[in-house]
Amino acid sequence: MGWKEAAEPVLTRMPAVQRPEGHVPFKRKLGWTAGILVMYFFLTNITLFGLQTGTDDFYGQFRSILAGSQGSILQLGIGPIVTASIVLQLLGGADLLGLDTNDPRDQVLYQGLQKLLVVVMICLTGLPMVFAGGFLPADPAVAQQLGVGQFGVETLIFVQIFVGGVLILFMDEIVSKWGVGSGVGLFIIAGVSQQLVAGLFSWQELGQASGFFPTWFGIVTGSVPLGSPLTAEGLQALFLGQGQLLALVTTVLIFAVVVYAESVRVEIPLSHARVKGARGRFPVKLIYASVLPMILVRALQANIQFLGRILASQLGEGMPAWLGEYNQQGQPVGGLFYYLNPIQSRDQWTWFLGTTSAEPWEVMLRVGVDLTFMVVGGAIFAVFWVETTGMGPEATARQIQNSGMQIPGFRRNPQVIEKVMERYIPQVTVIGGALVGLLAVMANMLGTIGQVSGTGLLLTVSITYKLYEEIAEEQLMEMHPMMRQVFGGGD
Amino acid sequence: MSRGQNTGGLMSSAGLVRYFDAEDRNAIRIDPKSVVAFGVLFGVGVEILNILAF
Repeated sequence: MGWKEAAEPVLTRMPAVQRPEGHVPFKRKLGWTAGILVMYFFLTNITLFGLQTGTDDFYGQFRSILAGSQGSILQLGIGPIVTASIVLQLLGGADLLGLDTNDPRDQVLYQGLQKLLVVVMICLTGLPMVFAGGFLPADPAVAQQLGVGQFGVETLIFVQIFVGGVLILFMDEIVSKWGVGSGVGLFIIAGVSQQLVAGLFSWQELGQASGFFPTWFGIVTGSVPLGSPLTAEGLQALFLGQGQLLALVTTVLIFAVVVYAESVRVEIPLSHARVKGARGRFPVKLIYASVLPMILVRALQANIQFLGRILASQLGEGMPAWLGEYNQQGQPVGGLFYYLNPIQSRDQWTWFLGTTSAEPWEVMLRVGVDLTFMVVGGAIFAVFWVETTGMGPEATARQIQNSGMQIPGFRRNPQVIEKVMERYIPQVTVIGGALVGLLAVMANMLGTIGQVSGTGLLLTVSITYKLYEEIAEEQLMEMHPMMRQVFGGGD
Repeated sequence: MSRGQNTGGLMSSAGLVRYFDAEDRNAIRIDPKSVVAFGVLFGVGVEILNILAF
């Protein structure tokens, strides 16, 4: 008996959000998406009950990719979903699962396994966070008040973040089934956009650092002192300091590069086998596997860092120096975990400006490790992504064949179409994946407005672009109900 | 053409979690409205506890 038969009773019974019956009008879809977004923001603002105030963010700089908010019910964000996805991608990509995603029975099992893994990951991330590392310390006053002791309050905190993690999973499912795009994408966009807007417009009276526009208003009116732009200090303040001109340039550059890269594609001409004159194109985009594999690579790095922090909190002084040295803020400053920590902002590598105390060779080694990790990891996860989501040569050939199209000048046969696809898809996938990895590292190194991590911004722009395409498609379907058949959505 | 195939193609633009059309008869189905209602009530509940505690 294989694992499938053994696990079937559990996996098929995993609770799922109901599917809409029939077509959901576009306005209703937007309504669901907006509603979930409001609910997400609401939940990120609910502080965990029994939590001691003034804690460091466990996710740190990874927060913009993993969404959620420190100390709130949504403490875990999409972390468990992403980690579960990594495991599934690796298992599926290496073909260890033996699940055929074209078979309805296997589809049910795949969905169930996916959910089960997320729940496992919620526990695996949440338990050490609450009980081991002291990253979510229980408030002793609450413990005394309730008379349940420290452990009781910790359990309460864990229950809350567990419920929050499961809620995120179901919210994602609602958006995927009833709304536009996906919940995971939506939550990343929400967090990054919030930070970006704050970085542009926030002013000091709000209790945050002054944003780009208020600062420049101050510079122009003379209330913010800035040295003469003719001196080196003045120039530095203008571009790197308060002026933030470099951050502005990077932010705009990331927008431009991502939108450009999204539009670069190889188009394979198609014509209909029976309807003469009906032509189409199959686009093989440069970023064929989308930027989602990038979340997986970054999350892998994040998980390595979590391991380091938990080890550091458990071993304390006993942690060997080659493994990791941590400062007061819980940031690694030496050892293996320092080199494995990706560069998150400009001041982590500009040793020549004196922003970091690390030696130049240490910084360069760290950048090198990050670059290798992202470029190689990006390519590998892109290949796995294409395989597991049915975007590979074989699957697309079958799809084209079934839609009644053919490549002009070739025999109408799935194997022939597959041969042509094989000339493009694998190469484009690897190049695209590696390129996105390189972009993500560079974006992180240059820094952006509002201290959004470059990778976060990259993901946001790309996901928004995809969302825009999807909305355009939806509107087309609203206008011509016939189009629904072409795109295969709803009935 | 089965709809499952097409969904597979469209899913690439969606998220990390994949949902298929196939569903088991045994599966517990939840109405999306109840998820939202539970989430909001849970949030309000925790907030009330917070207010009561301090």
